[in-house]
Amino acid sequence: MTAGALTRLAGACGLLLLVAACGSGSGSGSSSSASPSAGNATNGGTLKLLGSGDVDHLDPASAYYTVSYTLERAFTRQLVSYPSSSQIGAATAVAPDLASELPTTGNGGISADGLTYTFHLRPGVQWNTSPPRAVTAGDVVRGLQRICNPASPSGALSYYEDTIAGFTAFCDGFAKVDASSPAAMATYMNSHAVSGIKAPDASTVVITLTRPASDFLNIMAMPFASAAPVEYLTYVPDSAAFRQHTVSDGPYAITTYQAGSKILLDRNPAWSQSADPLRHQHVSSISITEGQGSDQAVQQQLQAGTADLSWDLPVPTADLSQLRSSKNPDFAIYPSASNNPYLVFNLRSPKNSGALGKLKVRQALEYAVDKTAIGSIYGGPALNTPLDQVIPPGQSGYVPFDLYPTSGHNGDPATCKTMLAAAGYPNGLTLTDVARNSGNHPAVAQSVQADLAKCGVTTKIVSVSQGDYYGKYLNSPAATSAGTWDISEPGWVADWYGNNGRSFIAVLFDGRKYGPNTVDYGDYNSPTVNALIDKAESAPSAATAATYWHQADEQIMKDAAFIPFETQKVPAFHSSRVKNALWSPFAQSYDITNLWLNPTS
Amino acid sequence: MAQSDQLTRVQAAAGDDLAFAGRSQLQLAWARLRHDRVAVVSAAVILVLVLLAVGAPLVAKVAGWGPDEQDRVHGLTRDGLPLGPSTVHWLGTDNLGRDVLVRAVYGARVSLLVGLGATALATLIGVVVGVVAGYAAPAVDTALSRLMDVVLSFPFLLFAIALVSVVGPGLNISIIVIAFFSWATIGRVVRGQTLTLREREFVEAARSTGAMPLRIMTVEILPNLVSPILVLATLIIPTAIVFEATLSFLGLGVEPPTPTWGNMISDSLPYYSVAWWFVAVPGLALLLLTLAFNLLGDAVRDALDPTAARAVKVRAG
Repeated sequence: MTAGALTRLAGACGLLLLVAACGSGSGSGSSSSASPSAGNATNGGTLKLLGSGDVDHLDPASAYYTVSYTLERAFTRQLVSYPSSSQIGAATAVAPDLASELPTTGNGGISADGLTYTFHLRPGVQWNTSPPRAVTAGDVVRGLQRICNPASPSGALSYYEDTIAGFTAFCDGFAKVDASSPAAMATYMNSHAVSGIKAPDASTVVITLTRPASDFLNIMAMPFASAAPVEYLTYVPDSAAFRQHTVSDGPYAITTYQAGSKILLDRNPAWSQSADPLRHQHVSSISITEGQGSDQAVQQQLQAGTADLSWDLPVPTADLSQLRSSKNPDFAIYPSASNNPYLVFNLRSPKNSGALGKLKVRQALEYAVDKTAIGSIYGGPALNTPLDQVIPPGQSGYVPFDLYPTSGHNGDPATCKTMLAAAGYPNGLTLTDVARNSGNHPAVAQSVQADLAKCGVTTKIVSVSQGDYYGKYLNSPAATSAGTWDISEPGWVADWYGNNGRSFIAVLFDGRKYGPNTVDYGDYNSPTVNALIDKAESAPSAATAATYWHQADEQIMKDAAFIPFETQKVPAFHSSRVKNALWSPFAQSYDITNLWLNPTS
Repeated sequence: MAQSDQLTRVQAAAGDDLAFAGRSQLQLAWARLRHDRVAVVSAAVILVLVLLAVGAPLVAKVAGWGPDEQDRVHGLTRDGLPLGPSTVHWLGTDNLGRDVLVRAVYGARVSLLVGLGATALATLIGVVVGVVAGYAAPAVDTALSRLMDVVLSFPFLLFAIALVSVVGPGLNISIIVIAFFSWATIGRVVRGQTLTLREREFVEAARSTGAMPLRIMTVEILPNLVSPILVLATLIIPTAIVFEATLSFLGLGVEPPTPTWGNMISDSLPYYSVAWWFVAVPGLALLLLTLAFNLLGDAVRDALDPTAARAVKVRAG
């Protein structure tokens, strides 16, 4: 994994978790059908989204935020993507998008050795250029090359470098190109190729991997791999000029982009329904208004019907209980692939004579935390399920087990105390807990503090801003080695669902990747786990990978590398005039290209 | 009519308690203050809050809850929402099931400590800088005056956020930041007063007898500055309390779990629509304390400077 990659991931995760970080309520799911084309669709009207902030990036190569994903659905396309659906299983199964069919070993799309993927492009897909121009294999290759442009590289670069042959070599060279010169970057992209990416003709893309990867299609379905038109070579990636000149191959095109204030989209005349199996063009335009102060302000407008969807703010915590008990049909709760929050141990900390580096101490602390109490901070049991392992339910390799059971997940201070004494700390410990000073983070830290106190552990909370949290503490090997923090409560949401061990265990616990941008904040490093990660990532099938991920999960918990707290669900609300609201788990939002507006309400 | 009426009352008030001989300015002021109903009520409110703050552990004992004690059994709804006033928690609970009354009382400690501490520090700095600027050579005066201009034109919140992110939040840093932004107000007034006083005959007299500048500043000038200092200090206290609440509200004040009114209000905001007590208790306490200090400050000023008081009252009448 490269530097930069994981900070962004963590950052995006933090933002994303704001959405998940609230509420109560279990609500009836939306009554809409799983099929995007079901019901009597009504076309026309303006879909209004309301929120506080802007996208993180507008360039598909670097946009790494659920809010950006919501928008990218309308104006970008990938070789493969996901259908939106209120059924999580359907919504997380890869489906062909630019590709005419999903490559499999059966149809020859995937070679027998699992190393070569062949994609055939769907005819009729066009850019909204003047005149409209077909999306070609070259555009797909360009999109992949742009992932590691030196001006605004993707935060998820490592997924591509770890799988596609020659990607790392291409990117190492690209990083040395002048990031302020579009001409220099274009020259590099035109004169260098990724050895593992080939376009033998205008409608075929062949990708060669370094080793088999059963999750490769999930990686290709991320919006980073969107096709990029030749026009994008004219601008510095994600620059202000770029943001004014996005080109669309989706059902909508951005007509107005004003950073931090508004984004407007109109129907893309070059798009045709017959060439897009995943999206529709029901509403005639989409308006996104930013600068709203609070989630409550947005929620009031949604309920009054003056806006339709929240852009980046969660359903207010305080409203969830009422929305759920009144069975409001516009309110629903969806699962997510999250392990949030969790407690990370700084295994490097020299404090307390290196106590946290000792297995027995960490195992004692596994009993300390009242996970149910943490869940109630985030809205109670309707939204939170206590978790006792790395992999949450529904994800590849999930086999439930609990090595440190406590009654009702309420914690067991007595056992913790006894084991801590047996581990050589009869007088307890003094730990520094670095916590973010916003959202639910202070409450979580104080809840953990109260739990640890019952086990004889004194906790000093250090409150820091979101900005300092990773850079000055968790992601800083120097600060970590110096013991400026002993424990902390970050969170993690996987980048995709199902076969996502690469985006879960490998990111959180592969000690070989420890460095300035690690997500393995506490430097857990187990040769056993590392070997299992290698086996799982190169497994020929998802099923084989799953058994390795489960073994790794067990080993990590035996080593008490961290304390998982919860896996969380995401509450969502839309105005009553929104029909066919289908959930996009990746954007953690309703799919703006599939819904329509009821004209009578 | 109103004017003479007022004068008579003030004179009568002074006359009731004091013999006509040997009244100092402060004695007169004290007499006026004691008969100002607003001042008495304000002082009583402050006294009650101070007693509650000092007796916070006692309140906690009577209420049955510690300030950081999380009642996970009957302190929260199943969905994790705070619970309203009941026999168990007299003024309800917060988002972690902690007793709002006990936390508000402990919060008063921080507010008063920071309010009084920062004011004392600001007054000390302000008086020293002001007297020196007013009495010393013109070059020193210019330098110190410009320094005060700079401090007064500093954007408080930006500076506070920057400083706290470098040093880290805490009680002491809160006091220092607030004092740093408050002393210049006192310094300016003291400098102005000192400039007039230094030309007065008694100062000339002291100087002609060979008194050293330090002695003149402390013995001759300082006692004549007590009135304006007292008035300004009383008015800085409520400002400092609000500053502290602002810092805590932004997560830049005292570290959790220590309760302060600012961080209680900050914690309560997401719940204002379902848990009024959570925001109302610290909010009203903050309002009450700052209002009381402000009114008391006004009353002190009126008592020390009856001319100004009369002007105000005449306008009001």
